[in-house]
Order: sequence, then C-alpha cells, then structure tokens
Amino acid sequence: MVTMSSSKNYVVEVVGVSKSYISGGREVEVLKDISFEVGREFVSIIGPSGCGKSTLLRIIAGVEKPSRGRVVFNLNRKPIIGFVFQFPTLLPWMTVLDNVILPLIATGVEKSSAIEKARMTLKVVGLGGFEDFYPSELSGGMKQRVNIARALAIEPDVLLMDEPFSNLDPLTAENLRSEVLDIWLSSILPVKSIIMVTHNVEEAVIMSDKVIILSPRPARVLKIVDVNIPRPRNRKMPEVQEMVDKVYEYVS
Amino acid sequence: MNLNELTIELTISTSLSLGRMLAAYILSLILAIVTGVAMARNKYVESILLPILDVLQSIPILGFFPAVLAVFITTLGPVAGGELSSIFLIITSLVWNMIFGVYSSIKSLDPSIDHLVAVYKLPLIHGFLYIYLPASKSSIAANSIISWAGGWFFLTSAEVISMGRVEYRLKGLGSFIIKAFEEDNTMAYTTGLLALFMVILVSYLIIWNPFTMKYTGTRTLLGFMKAYDVIDKALSKTWGFIVEKVVAAYNVVARVKIKSTHIIICSILPPLLYQYHTRLALDNSLYSKILEYGVDFLRVAPITLIRVYLVVVTGLAVSILLAYISHTRLKLGKIIVMSGEVSSSIPAMMWWPILLPLLKGFPQGVMMFVYLQGSLWYVFFNVLIFGISSLRESIIELSEIYNVKGRLYLSRIFIPSLLPSILAGGLSASGGAWNASIAAEYIVLGDLTVDMGGVGSLLNKQAQAGDILGVLSTSFFMSLVVVFINKTIWARILGKIRGYYVVE
Repeated sequence: MVTMSSSKNYVVEVVGVSKSYISGGREVEVLKDISFEVGREFVSIIGPSGCGKSTLLRIIAGVEKPSRGRVVFNLNRKPIIGFVFQFPTLLPWMTVLDNVILPLIATGVEKSSAIEKARMTLKVVGLGGFEDFYPSELSGGMKQRVNIARALAIEPDVLLMDEPFSNLDPLTAENLRSEVLDIWLSSILPVKSIIMVTHNVEEAVIMSDKVIILSPRPARVLKIVDVNIPRPRNRKMPEVQEMVDKVYEYVS
Repeated sequence: MNLNELTIELTISTSLSLGRMLAAYILSLILAIVTGVAMARNKYVESILLPILDVLQSIPILGFFPAVLAVFITTLGPVAGGELSSIFLIITSLVWNMIFGVYSSIKSLDPSIDHLVAVYKLPLIHGFLYIYLPASKSSIAANSIISWAGGWFFLTSAEVISMGRVEYRLKGLGSFIIKAFEEDNTMAYTTGLLALFMVILVSYLIIWNPFTMKYTGTRTLLGFMKAYDVIDKALSKTWGFIVEKVVAAYNVVARVKIKSTHIIICSILPPLLYQYHTRLALDNSLYSKILEYGVDFLRVAPITLIRVYLVVVTGLAVSILLAYISHTRLKLGKIIVMSGEVSSSIPAMMWWPILLPLLKGFPQGVMMFVYLQGSLWYVFFNVLIFGISSLRESIIELSEIYNVKGRLYLSRIFIPSLLPSILAGGLSASGGAWNASIAAEYIVLGDLTVDMGGVGSLLNKQAQAGDILGVLSTSFFMSLVVVFINKTIWARILGKIRGYYVVE
C-alpha cells in the first residue's frame, strides 16, 4: 500500500514491508518486515543476488503490492516516480526522443512541452543531437543514458534505479556513475531522493549517503550504514576503502 | 459480349472483389488487433477467448454458411445481406492466423516492457497505440501474406453462395470467372483469370511483400520497395495524425475525469444461431437426430483423419525442402516464395479446368491436390518467412567456422532452428486440411460427380440436401475432433519445444 503524509522530514518511508508468493504450491517468502526511511539523499540497497532487492524497488514504485506493510511518501500529492531499468527497455520502433517523451505524453503533458523537457534531459545525459536516432543505432552505454533521460524527463520526486550500471562495460559504467552523481548533486533537476539497487559494494559506497544491507532470502534489513565521507569520492580514498571493507563484512 | 463490354464488366467485377477483400482485410485487422491485444494482456479474456477461437478456427467455412446466410439475408435482404455475408465469409478465412499472430507477438514481448507500462502508468490507449500495435507490426505483415492468399482462395465460395436449391451470386471477379466457365466463354474466362493473376501479383509485389520485408527483415521475398515506400509514407502520416488526435482527445476526456470504459468483446457462436433460423424447439427428437449425425460422422472420420495428416506430413516435407533451397540460393528462394504466393491465392474453382481431364482417371490425385492447396500454404509461409528469418547469423557463422554442412547442417542446425515455425505451420496446416476436406472429398464438375467419402464429402452431401442441422452437427463433431487433437498432441509438442529450441 502506498500512502501520503506531510509532517515528517523523510521523503519515503518503508514500513514493515513483507512479500511472499506462491511457487509450485509452496509459499516463498522474499521480503520480511523491511523498514527504513529515505530523506533528501542518495540511498543504496545492497544484498546477495536473488534476495528480493528488485522486488522491493518495484513495491516502492507501486507496481507490486506488498503482502504486508506499506510505503509512505511524505508529499502533499501523488509522488512522481522515475525508474531506471536494469536493461534499457527502449521501444525499438521509436526514436530516442519518442522513447523519452512517452511517459510525459502519458501523463497528459502537451507534446511541445514534452519535447522541450525531453531535449533538455537528453542534453543533461550527454545525448544532445541523438534525438532522431533509433535504439538499434546506439551503443549499450547510450541506450542506458536514454533509460536515465526518460526517468529524469518526468521530473520525478524519487528516482529508483535497478542495478543501472551492471550491464555496462567498466569504463562506461564509471563515466555514467559520475554523470548521474553530477546531475544529482548539481540539483538541476527536482529529484528529492534516489534509491539504487546494486550488488556492487564499491559503487554503493562511492555514490550513496546511506547503504541499506539486506540479508539473503527472505531479505531482512541487516544493517543501515551512513556513509559520511566528503564528496567527491573515489575508490582510492582510504575512507572509501575502509567503508567498503565494513560493508563487505555485513554482506558476507 | 463484345470486347468493350467485357472490359467494363471485368473492371467493375475486379473492383468489387477487391473492395470486398479490402473491407474483409481491414475488419479482420481491427478484430485481430483488439482481440489479440486483449487476450495477451488480460488473463480472463485469454482464458475465455483462447478455447473459443480454437473452436471457431476449426469450423469449416461451410459450417458458417447457413447461420450467416440466415441472419444477414433475412434481416437485410439479398443485396446488402449477400454482400455482408460474403465479407463475413472472407473474414472467416483470413482472421484467425492474424489474431494468433498479434496475440503471440505481444505475449512474447520482453517482460521489462510490462514494467515500463506499469511504472510510468501508461493508460490503456497509450499502451495500445505506442507499444502493442507497433510491436505486432511485423507479425501482422507476415500474417497478411497468408491471409491475403486465403481470402482470394475462398473468393469464389464467398461470391457464389449456395444453400440447397437457393443460390446467391454477387457481382465480382470470382462469380465472373465461374459464369464464363459455365457459359463456355473462353475469351471471358481467360481475361478473367488474367485479371485475377494481375491483381494478386501486383498486390503482393507492391504491398504485402515489401511490407513484410520492411518489418520482419526477411529477404526471401520479391517486391518493389520504392513503390511501397510511397504507400508506407502516406499510411504512416495518416496513422500519425490519427494517433495524435486520439491521444489529444483522450487527454481532454481524462482531464474531465471521465473514466474510459473497457472494451467488451462479443463472440458469436454460430451454432446458436441455428435456433434463430429455424425456431425449432430443443426436444428429444432433436437430440436423437444429432446422435445419428454423430454416428454418421464417426463412420467417415477415420479416413479423413488419415488424409489430413498425410497431407500435413507432405506439406511439411515439401516446405522444409523448399526452405532449405531458398536458404542456400536466395534468388531462387525469392522466385519460390512468389510462385507460392500466386498459387496459394488462386481460388479453388479456378483449378478445375486444369484438373478436369485428370478427374476421371486419377481422382485420388485430384483430391490430394485440393487437400494440399488448402493446407500446404500455412506451413509453406510459416517456414519460408518466419522460419528462415529466425535463423541467427551467429549460428550460420558458427556452422561455417566448424564446417557443418550438408545433412549434418540440415538435421542439427537448420531444422532445429526452424522447429518452432515448422510446428506452428503444421498446426495451422492441419486446420487448413480439415477445411479443405470439404472441397477435396466431393467434387462436382458439370455432370461429373466424384465422391471420395469422408467428413468433407458428408458435409457436402448434407449441404446439398439443405440439411442445415446435419451440416451444423457434422461441423460441430469435426471441431471436437480437431480441438481434441490440438489439445492432446499439438499443445504437448509445442510446449515441449518451447524453451529448448530458442537460440540465444
């Protein structure tokens, strides 16, 4: 269940969320009593493969319903949610621009202003000039940029990212990480919070203000670690390495 | 009739037939898209419509006659009613594979597309216009090739509708050719056939083949891409305009908070219409009569069953062989597919003058020919269009590198890669063969009647005697057998290969 409230200073609150489904006649529990708050910050959710991280993200997005518990948004209106998929999920029959404006048009935005917003976000992710290209004409990194631009174009309150860099080559992933951080830190877009699912510990530490560590299935919150390291960060900083080791301890 | 009159008559007839075909095609397209999307996107619609469509697909075209004629002609009169029943009959011969095409292409969409629709809360109309419709374009294109041929093949049956002693003839190319044949007018007959060939050839060369090549990437077709591009541009522009207006209208409606209502799809069960036609009360004598028809059916069913599967196996063997030739020699392949397109479109009755001399001495051969005509093409197009285009470049490369050739290539690479298409084609071909039994097992040509026995022959005799209940009961029993075989044998084979034979 997703509800809205406005008295506290968090943006998203996940309260006692559990999720189970029936598989082969048996009940399989994926998430167990998950609770945490997300303020105006960058939060990473980390955990072993198949522990239900993506399910949790979809529950926050309102696409899936929890078996128990709820997700509360501290806004006076319905939250606008951007979602960066693990795979680019671009429609091959549409140009880059058309792919980005699709969610805007769906919410009733006039076509001309949708195009304007889409052009702006495409420029922000470094794809200015590629508006009329088709997905098949783009590289993997460029496709993922379109995926990000589409999520940003709707000016989301909360940006959810499902392992956004896991299918890119290391160099492209590195570049794209710092670009997303730049966009986030520059506040050129009205995104209040970012929640990213990943299983890359280093990526979580470098990018986030807070790392939520989940246990193997059924996933429970093992530990919430605050990453109080000044930005810009890089993997060679001793504080970063120390923090990575600390998180690894919980993960393993 | 002088040459001038003949030309005018022929032009009018051709335009009328083409109009009927286009009307039937457009209606089928709309029906296929709405039904296919609804089935693929909604579990409940899927669980209800899938078995119903399975039954409807296996009811032979003749089974629709009495019910359709009764409803259309008695309510609208012979002119409008005749026209409508003709269009309806053409639809019944081209809509099924289109529905299943749309359904399966949306079913096989990447699941992340569903997440996209859910996450960005795309309204139904947007999903329909921007995602589901474009996603089924390639399958619509490839299935149109099969359907268009099916439509022409049934054209004469749809333009000369007879039930017992009553016969309705509609002006058109099909009835024109039949009339010329009956009157022994060689000049009219030849020009009629020529016009038919031209229309079929031109429609494939400038519309269906380029359309399919553009959206499926297949290369085994002949076509004039430039001519098609003009049509494609005009259609895309019109379509873009329609989409924009529909979305704008939706946004206005959504803003004033009128909720869009769900589209309810109604299916008509033709057998139920029987009561409307005869106003017969359902009493015990009716049931015992139906039982009698059941016994008659069981007596003739085995021979038709054997013929049907003999034809399916022949069709599969021929198609796989031709596919292999097309795959290894592209130019020859293009000619093979084009000849297939024309031959499959030639209406059943047009073959008679050619087959007549054979009929007396070798009726079995003629019967098998008619059977093949109604069945072979489903597997032919499935294998030669879908199958060959599903062969991955990387797999071909792999076999080149490791020098996999000849029989090994055919058995280990070629056939397994094409297996999903081969089986899908085989399934449709068996349905087609059941339908074709009507034309194949009971042949009347002038004074000559050749009765080969079987379900098709039984249906024919019942129709000729005006025995509506008999036609409906036999069609019903036949559908039961077809559905039973589909569910027990075909569904299992298809289920087994799914997942195993998808090349990653």
